[in-house]
Parts: sequence; structure tokens; C-alpha cells
Amino acid sequence: MAGPPTSRAPITVPGIGLDLDVEFDHEAEGARTRMWRELRRDPGFWTGAITVLTLVILAAGAGLISPYDPDLAIRGRGLAANGDPLGPTAEFPLGTDRLGRDYLSRLLHGARTSLIVGIGANFVASLLGAAVGGTAAFVGTAHLSFRVGGRRLNVSLPVETFLMRLTDVVLSLPALLLAIALVAVVGPSLLLVLIVIAGLLWTVTARIVYNRVRLLREFEFVVAARALGAPTARILLRHVAPHVASLIVVYATLGIAASVLLEAVLSFLGVGVPPPAASWGTMIAEHAGYFRTDPRLLVLPGVGIMIIVLAFNLLGDALRDALDPRSWK
Amino acid sequence: MRTRNRRTTSAASLTLAFLLAACGGAAPQSPGGTTAPESSTLAAGTLSIGFEGDIFSLDPSQGYDFISWPAERLIFETLIAYGDGTDLVPHLADAMPEVSDDGLVYTFTLRDGVNFVNGDGSVHREMTADDVAFSFNRILNPNLTPAPSPVSGSFFTVIEGAQAVVEGDAEEASGIVVVDERTLEITLAQADPTFLNIIAMPFGSVVPADLAGEDTDAFSEDPVDTGPYTLESRTIGEEAVFVRHDHYWGETPPTDRIEFRFGVDGNTAAQQVEANQLDIMGDPVPAGVVNSLRESYPDRLVVVNQVAVHYLTMDTSDPEGGPLTDVLVRQAFNHAIDKENIVQLLRRGVVAHCVYPTELPGHNPDCAPYDYDPERARELMEEAGFGEGFATTVYTDPSEDSTAVVQAIQQDLGEIGVEVEIVAQEFDVLLGTVSVPHEAPLVYIGWFQDFPDPSDFYDPILSCAAAVEGGFNTGWWCNEDADALAAEAKAEPNAERRLEMYQELELMVMEEAPWVPLLFPAIDTFISERVQSFEPHPVWFVDLAKYPVTD
Repeated sequence: MAGPPTSRAPITVPGIGLDLDVEFDHEAEGARTRMWRELRRDPGFWTGAITVLTLVILAAGAGLISPYDPDLAIRGRGLAANGDPLGPTAEFPLGTDRLGRDYLSRLLHGARTSLIVGIGANFVASLLGAAVGGTAAFVGTAHLSFRVGGRRLNVSLPVETFLMRLTDVVLSLPALLLAIALVAVVGPSLLLVLIVIAGLLWTVTARIVYNRVRLLREFEFVVAARALGAPTARILLRHVAPHVASLIVVYATLGIAASVLLEAVLSFLGVGVPPPAASWGTMIAEHAGYFRTDPRLLVLPGVGIMIIVLAFNLLGDALRDALDPRSWK
Repeated sequence: MRTRNRRTTSAASLTLAFLLAACGGAAPQSPGGTTAPESSTLAAGTLSIGFEGDIFSLDPSQGYDFISWPAERLIFETLIAYGDGTDLVPHLADAMPEVSDDGLVYTFTLRDGVNFVNGDGSVHREMTADDVAFSFNRILNPNLTPAPSPVSGSFFTVIEGAQAVVEGDAEEASGIVVVDERTLEITLAQADPTFLNIIAMPFGSVVPADLAGEDTDAFSEDPVDTGPYTLESRTIGEEAVFVRHDHYWGETPPTDRIEFRFGVDGNTAAQQVEANQLDIMGDPVPAGVVNSLRESYPDRLVVVNQVAVHYLTMDTSDPEGGPLTDVLVRQAFNHAIDKENIVQLLRRGVVAHCVYPTELPGHNPDCAPYDYDPERARELMEEAGFGEGFATTVYTDPSEDSTAVVQAIQQDLGEIGVEVEIVAQEFDVLLGTVSVPHEAPLVYIGWFQDFPDPSDFYDPILSCAAAVEGGFNTGWWCNEDADALAAEAKAEPNAERRLEMYQELELMVMEEAPWVPLLFPAIDTFISERVQSFEPHPVWFVDLAKYPVTD
């Protein structure tokens, strides 16, 4: 298997005027081994990874583990006689919510909602961001020529400017207002939440990928590939992509934490996942009035959000450190 | 009356299921119009009430909600008012009006020595019959800005010639005649036993003809009237302060100042009242803290049954002929919903089987055509050909209580195969949505009385006249036989026979089942230790001018 060619630092990037001290030593095997060695030594990685794994298993198995249907109130037994939710009992290990639904089942299904949105939205956002950033950086200005009625027509398309200014525009949109407006028009659904979050988060990835590819395209191995006549798509996928993949993974992992939070916020505001589906944000919003009388109803989903965000942040940080040669010990 | 007023479209008054509607601070009753007792013998101090929302308007032609009314009633007064109960007593009128035998002509004599008092507490001038005539014509005036009165097309149109004013063809209604400075004669287009209730609403307030112009916002900023308080200051979104003045014609109210505080959400308000930093919660006590407060402060949590009904309307006349147009389906819904469960979720109120609330004259305890019976509901669905069920949408507001109720309904209807999607819209948006014909298949909404008469639970919410764009007959139910009976009942002079006719009407409605009546709500209000006596009023709920406080 052919690995990417090796270039030696330091490199001066023409046009940007930055002296980069990045070592692109890509004997793939060696880098991977070293990265793994770094990760193995990082307690943050293990904490994050094990928590994420546990959450994924719990969420995936929510249907099997949950003692009750999360969306149905248990009539007759789910509420105290005075209408208050029940605290933890043998029958309901984490008590019931304000409608008399089993809280454990709600929490498990809420985790599922969070992870679907977090991972799903970030997957889409990362692909989109990578495509936009990569294209903008590599294509720059596209020079097209057509033949119209025997005359040659040359057109210059400022792809780079267009895509990166579009990224700036999207970054400048107030995320919550946009989400609320969209939901008001389209009506709330899980899919819409996913689309809204993905549609907002790709910008970060796009900028990062853009910057990295912008550097890479001036590297000798890329210039060489181009000089040999390799088509753009091949250069991007074959020669450039391996150098940005790790970066994308790091930011996608960190982005999951952000998406989980955003989903919770949207649901808290009532523009997220529609009822009766469980979402931790909705669960907090529904029980805001119980913060003094039965804080369990707010604390449990709140802690859930905290754990999921913390776990993905730890994992992302660990990956970033491991992928950065400068932090290698 | 609805609980929040933004889009004012018709006579109807819509109260959202979760909020109370109440109006307080009326004119304290003064036997015989004697001068005020020595104020030194009375407790002074400041009474405060907190709301999440704000006053919509302090112009009595505009406000139609549970925050504006209690505030208006500190300043504005009506010819006829409610006593301690639902009984009507003369107020700015010297005595109850003389009514002609045919019930068409009402002759009012005004009380002597009633002054309009300026915002700074000085006397403007004495009230005359011209002011009364002006005030009633003003309610009808289509040129008021920014909008005509929400009730311009209803209630007061019972006065002869009123319709011409509403339509802009006349300046003054021919039925309103000033006989002399102290006497006013009002002729009705048709007999209406609820006429005195109509003019006892704050819409019937007597305003000074020289100050209340067509710009209602201007008058709302600097309101002048005959009541015991004047507006001292108002900061939108924060507070409004009313102070007692020395020129009131009636009994001096016990407190010097009354403060309305806005933007206080229910949980914050409950905490403030608990700490005696706020005296009265204007909004209902949030469901999450009700039980703990009931336990800790049994004397300070006052529960009152509202003259109101919360219900689910079904689009009975959908032009696309959806399943809800089938009476069997609507009856099935009535059997399918567990109302006991809803009352338990809300922790107050009583189950509603029919239309008229428990405290309303005409309430029929035997009216209970549909019991909770999911088995029977499924049979009816089969019979209607919808054994497989169908999908539909329920509209509601996003409050904690309302979303709990609709989720309970969602589960109950799910049991009979009906898949319900929930759309929660802010109250003012919801009012717009539900007043567009056939936009919302199911609506969870509430109605609070404007005055204690069954006509107020038919005309604005069930009649054909209300089943039009902008109306509040959100089930779009129109039955001409029922309308005919309602018209007959309304004009019936014999009170007992009249109520019987209204009960007959109620059964007729329930058989066609345009609604699932859910509950007659109750409201808890939480008061501070500073409030010396708190008697909720059956019509106004809070009557702020009557509660003494200690400092």
C-alpha cells in the first residue's frame, strides 16, 4: 500500500507567509503506533471512551433495558394520589415524571435521542464541512471555458471566495433564532433538529479543513502529483485527505458535545424533538416547576447531559493531543 | 374573557386552559354613597400582585384579559356592578334602572357628586349622563386606534342603532338618549336579560367624554376616571403603581398603594410570596409546587373554583370531510378521554361532563352523557368505520399545564388508534390559528365567563355566528335548531324556564358532541402573611381594592 510521500519541515508556505514547524513524517504505521501509545497513556481518553461506549450501549439497548414504555403514563400507579410524581420505588427505580411515566425509561430513551442527534448531525456536518473547506482551498478560482457558437468563452468562478464567505455568513447567523424560525415554519421533528444542527455546525469543520488544505496544496508531494497530471479529485482523496482525516475526527468528536447541548437547548425551548418522545432538554423544560419540590426530575437529565458532553470532550481532547506531534512525550 | 389579549377579534373571550381569568379591584361598594370614613382608622400600606405578563391596556375599551381587568377596575367604574357575589347592585347609578314591561327600555339615574379624578389626584369635573352616553358609543366606535374595542361587534350591539355605529354609518346609537344631566335612557333592539351584566363588564366603564379620545393608547397612558385609585407610574414589562386619592365618592379602600409587578414567572412569584416580598400571585400557582405549598401554608393558599370550562374542540364541519365530521367519532373521543386523570395531573378543578361550569346558573349535575369507557369508544370507532384509527393534530399553548393535558389526551386517543400530533403555539399565535376556519382539527382551549349567564357559554363559543373567521367556535359547529333554541332561551323572561331551556340546549350540544368537555378548572392563589383578609370574588376573582395589608 502506498503511503503519502514525505516532506520535511520547516516549510515556508508561499502566499501566507507563515513559518510552519509541522512535521509531516508519514510513515503511516509509525504515526499510528505512536498515536496509540499516546492515547493509551491518557486517562482522559479511557474515561471518555468507556463512558461513550457505555452510553452508546445503553441508548442502543434502550428498548430492551427500559422497564416500561417511555411514552406512556402508567395510569393508576404512576402518580401519587395528590398528582405529584413518584420518587424512586422498587417498581420505578428512578421514580416517575409529571405525567406518571417511568423516569428510567425516559432517561434511557433521552440518551438515545441525544446520541442520534449528536452523532448523526456531526457526521453530516463533518462531511459537508470537509467538502466545502477542501473544495474552497484546493480549487481556489475555477477557470472554465466554454465554446458558444464557435466562440470561446472564458469564465472565472471565485469558488474559494464564494464558499468561505458563505461559511462566514452561516457562522454569523444566530443559531437559536434560526432554529426557532425554521421549526415555526416546518414544524418540530427529530429530522429537522438534525438538519438544523448539521446545517450550523459544518462551518467550523469547513474553516479548519480549509486552512489545512490550503497549506497542503503547496507541499511538494501535492505539487508533484499535480505535475504528473493527477486529476483534482484524485489528489484530494488520495494525497490530501489522509492528512486532514485525523483533524476532522477530532473536531467531529468535540462537535458531538456541542450538538448534544444544542439539541437539549432546542428541546428545552420547545422547538426540538416533539412530545411525547423523550429528550433530556424537554424533560428539563417540562419539570422546571419542580426544581424546589422534586429536583430529581431536573437533576437526572441535567447530569445526563453533563456526562455525555464531558465524555465527548474528554475523548476529543485526548484524540487531539494524540494526533499533535508537539504534545508527544 | 380570554386570559391574554393580543389579537382582539370578537366578542368572545377565550381563556387559555392553563390560566385563570379574573378581574379584580372593583369599586368598593358604598351604601348610599356616603362620604368616606376617616382614613386614619384603616390599614394603609402597599399591596403587590405579580404576573408573568403585562397589562395589555388601561383603556377600558381595549383590555380583555385577566391582567388588564383588575388594573382597570382600580380606576374605572361602571353604572352597575357586582356585589359580594354574582348579584348586581347600583354603582355609579343611583339605583337599579327602571325597566319597561317589554324589557326594552332601561332608565338610569346617576349618582350625585361623582368626580373624575386626574392622574395627579386633583378633581377634573363631575360625571354627567353625557359621559355615560359617550362611553357606550365609544365601545362601538370603529375608528378607535390602534384598534376598535374587541367587543365592538357584540355585546353592546344589543342597543338599538348600535350596529349602525359599528358599521360607521352613525356617530351615536339611536337607542342611547340623554334625558337630562342625571338621567339616561337606553333602548334595546331586542330584550336581553343579560344587558345589565354586559354593562357591568369593564367595557361598560363610564369615561370622561373630554379626555377619552379615539387614541386608546394615549388614554391608557393617562387614564382618568371615577374610581378610588389613580395611575402613579407605569413601566412596560416591569410594574404599574396605583395610588389612592382623596376625592373618591365611595368608601375609602384600605390600602394606599397597589403595585402590579410584571415579568415574574410562576415559580419566582411563589418564592416571593412565600418570603412575603410579594402579596398576591396573579398567575396560578405552578403545578409543581402546589402540593408542597398546600401542606406548608394551608391558610395562605386560596382555592377557588372558576366559572370556566376547559375543553377539546373537534372540527365538526371540515369541508374535506375528515373523520371528525362523523358524530360517532366525536362521541368515541368523549368516551376515550380519562378526565379524572387530567384533573389529577392539574391537581385542581373538577371533571366536566357538559358545558356549564358548576358555579354557573343553569349547571345541570345530571348532565353526563359520556362516561370514561375506552371499550365503548373502540366500538363507536368500529361503527364509524375507523376501527383502524387515523392521524390528527391537536393545537395548544406551550404552558406546563397545557402540555401535560394534551399529552394525556394523546395517550388516551392512542388507545383507540388515533395518532395525535401536538402543536404548541404561543397564546397569541394560537388565537390566530384557531380563529381560521378548519385550520386546527383539535384544539385544547378554555373559556372563562364574561358574566354569570349560560348565554355566555353558548353565543361566543358554540353559535353559528361564532363559527366564522375570527370567531371562537373552534369546533366550527353550527346547528340551526340549537341556535333557534338559544335565541328563544335568551329572550325568555321567566328566569327558571329560561335556565331549563339552556339546559335543554346543553343536552342538544352534547349529543352532537362538538367538544370533549374536560374540566371546570379551579385556581389556587397564594397570598403573603401581610394580606389581612382575602375573599376571592366569584366574578372578578381578585378584588384588589378590598384587601387590607399590614406593613
